[in-house]
This record gives sequence, C-alpha cells and structure tokens, in this order.
Amino acid sequence: MIELDRLSKSFGGRAALADLSARVAPGEVVALVGPNGAGKSTALRILAGILRPDRGSARIAGHDIVRESLEARKHLAYLPQRLGVPASTVLWDLALLVCRVRGLPLEAAETALESAGLLPRAGASLGELSGGQRQRAMLALATMGRVDALLLDEPSINLDAEGSEEVRATIREARDRGVAVLFASHHLYDVAALADRIVVLVDGRAVVQGALPDLARAAGVPWTEASAEAPIERIYRVLVARGRAGAAELRLIRGDAA
Amino acid sequence: MTGLVSFELSGARRGRTAWVFAAAFAAASLTIAVVGLAAGGVITVQGFARTSVSLLQLVLWVVPLAALLLGAVAGAECHDLEFLAGLPVPRQRIVLARWAAWFITLAAALLVGLGAAGVVVGLAAGGADAPRYLALLVVALLVLAASLALGLWLGVAARSRVRAIALAVVTWFVLAVGVDLAAIAVLALLPPGPSGWGLSLLLLADPVDGARALGLGLFQADVVAGPTGAALRRVLGGWGAVVLVAGLGLWTAVPLALAGRRYAGRDL
Repeated sequence: MIELDRLSKSFGGRAALADLSARVAPGEVVALVGPNGAGKSTALRILAGILRPDRGSARIAGHDIVRESLEARKHLAYLPQRLGVPASTVLWDLALLVCRVRGLPLEAAETALESAGLLPRAGASLGELSGGQRQRAMLALATMGRVDALLLDEPSINLDAEGSEEVRATIREARDRGVAVLFASHHLYDVAALADRIVVLVDGRAVVQGALPDLARAAGVPWTEASAEAPIERIYRVLVARGRAGAAELRLIRGDAA
Repeated sequence: MTGLVSFELSGARRGRTAWVFAAAFAAASLTIAVVGLAAGGVITVQGFARTSVSLLQLVLWVVPLAALLLGAVAGAECHDLEFLAGLPVPRQRIVLARWAAWFITLAAALLVGLGAAGVVVGLAAGGADAPRYLALLVVALLVLAASLALGLWLGVAARSRVRAIALAVVTWFVLAVGVDLAAIAVLALLPPGPSGWGLSLLLLADPVDGARALGLGLFQADVVAGPTGAALRRVLGGWGAVVLVAGLGLWTAVPLALAGRRYAGRDL
C-alpha cells in the first residue's frame, strides 16, 4: 500500500509538488502523468526517501517515509530516472550488493540478470552497456526480492519496443503478486495499457485523478475500451491545458483516491 | 555494512588512482632514500633512521593532499547515488563505506609504495632502525584516515565536484602551510615566556602538524621537532604521543560523523 497525504515540496520558493494526495492499493497500478516539471519525479523521490517533504506525509506498507524511513524502504523498490550509481559500477557487483542489502541468496543476483538477458554481460560496467541494456539491468535489480511497493520513474526511457514490452510485463507481474505500483511516464501507451488509475499533474498539482474512462469523460473525449490507446493523447492534452488554465472543477476523485 | 564496503572497495580498486599513488610513492621514497646523501658528495642508500625523517615531510605533504582530494570527490559523488539511497540502508553507512573503501585502497597503495622503498633500504643499508620506518607507516596511515574523513565531509557539504575540489585544495594549504605560518606569527608576537599550551592546542587543531610532531617524537628526532613539538613535550611529557594519536582519531571520527549526519539529513 502506498499512501500520500497532502504531500508538498518546494525548491527555491517554487512549488514542485502541492498537496498531492493519492492511494495505491496492493495489486493496483497507478500512473503519474504530466508535462516536464509537473512534479512526477519529485513525488516518487519523496516516497523513496531521496527528498524530504516540506509538508504532508506518506506511508509505504504503513510505515511513515520520514519517521520510519529505513523500514519503509525495506518494503519498496525504486527505479530512479537517472542511473543512481557511478557508471563505472560493475553490474555483478551491484547485483551482489542488492542481494546482501535485501537479505537474498546470491543465486537471486544470477536469476535477476538472467531474466534481463544480461548474465553474459555481468562483468561489464554499467557505462559499457547500451541505454536499453542499462535500463533493463536497473529494473531487474530494483525489483529483486519481495516488496510491497514499486516506484518507477520513466521505466521505459531509452527502451525499444521489445524492451518496453518487458517493462510492461514486469509491472503486470508485480501487480499480479499484489504489489502496489506507482510509475511516472511520458509514454501514454504504457499508461493506457497498464494503469488502473491515472493522476494528471500540472505545475505540482494533481488536476485530475481517476480511471481512464473517467478522465475521458472529464476531458469530454469519447472513449471506448477497445481503443483505449488512441484517445489517451487527446485526453491528456485537454486535461493538461485545462489544468494550466486552473480549471479546478476538473478534480475528479474516484475509488481509493483521497 | 560489509556488503556496502566490498561494493565501494571494488569501485575504488578498479580505478587507476591507487596504482598511480603506489607507484609515485615508491618512486619518491626510493629517490629520497638514494639521493638524500648526495649533497655530501656520496650517492648511497640511507639507513632507515635518515630515510624515515626525510620521508616524513613527503608523507605530510602528499598524503593529506591526495586524501583530501579523493575524499572530496567521493563525498560529492554521494549525491549521485540515488539508487543506493533508495535501498534499505542507513545513509550514514553509505558515507562510512566510502571512507572505509578508500582508506583500505590508499593504505594498501601506501604500504606498497613505502614497503618497496623499505625493502631496498633494508637490503642495501641493513635493518638497523627499522622500527622508525614502521612508525612512519603508522603516522602515514593516521594522517591518511583523518584527511580522507575531512575530504569526505567537505565533499558531502559542497555537493558539486568542482566546489569540493576547490575546498579540498584550500583546506590542504591551510593545514600544511597556513597553521605553521600562524604559529610562527603567534610566536613572533607573543612576549618571551611560556606559550606551551597554546602551541600544543595548535597541534591538536591541525592534523598535519599533529602528525608531524607525532612522527618526529616517534623517531626521537628531538632537535628537528620544531617549536610546537618541543612545547608539546614540555606540556604533556610522555603522554604527548598518546594525545596526538587520540587527536588524529578525533580528526577522523568527527568529520565522518558530520559527513554522515549531513548526508542523511539533506535532499539528494
């Protein structure tokens, strides 16, 4: 379970995130979408303990991310948008570290790299891998072990069609295991294909959150389940434009969303 | 913790820094051991006693500079470790593991460099006074530990590599030269009389000066120990070495604690 309650963060007086409230239930996938600088990465980085919120609170599997930071991080896996380790790091060394930190047997490192198709390249440094290989490797390492929450920041970045499908499979697999998944993406196809609910962020504020049909209704865009991917870009453009114009009536709360 | 240290150790070991450091130290040590007596018209290998005193100055200039610079870069890099910071490890341990890994790597390089010179001196000039050379190694390791911790703290506080390197260079200048100049100025200004306590405190306030006094005390090179060393012996008597070792220990522990605290309490 991932819970965000009026989470706020400013950088140099500019609000990067303002009063974001949301809830991701076990086995649910929620997507954060919005233009660059909307606050998607900030929200994920706060949840992962990388940033401290100015106001509000958040919990991972019931553990407060500030007061019980270590315990909260035991229950989550986080894939940052940036590499997050030196490029000279050898893949196998990083896999071993994740095993040791998460208390997994060393075979888990082998299994993770094998599932990413990178076991033969285990001795390579991350800088020697292609962008796609690196992203696959980091996703495989981030998701090692049993966690309750998965936080992914642009997981399909640098990936070709095949790689993107692998990411989608990983997310579906996590969802089927009962993991709460929160991911940020500019790939609206991924969002339409995976997300049970979508949070549209504009200038740090959640202007709309709900399932895709609800968002379509809010945007006034015809929607049919059979062609979910086609209208999502139109829905997104309408909602972001209205969010920028400050259309407060767009706020749509549904299901478990706070 | 051991997992983090071995992870950081493999990163530190892979770079060329340690090998360059070891090779440069071996070359410099051998040069000093061989040509130290050249001014007397004889080129020969000095014994351990003379080599130790000659090498102490090299150790006190080069080790703090290298350790401050490497520590500062390692500290600044901590802010790029978002993946590691998202794992369930206390952030302080990431800093501590970085310090431990670089200490082990540079200590090994120092031992290789000084050890190679030691073997040559031992074979050519005999083993007399070898304990003094071992004392030099101990002093080098103590000043390495303190300088590395200080550099790491500067790097974590500075955040950017460029600012961290600039801070490290300024700090090195102050510790290696500035404090000595201040001591000379204080001595020149003070009226003649006992100023032992003040100078002894100055030794504890500067790890490089403290290491110098410790080294010369251990080598029993009283005549070249300088005014601060003489003052320390007068004030603390036989406990001087213990106080200096404790001081260098504090110069390691306090910056490390501050670096860990700062890294844990700030946004990455």
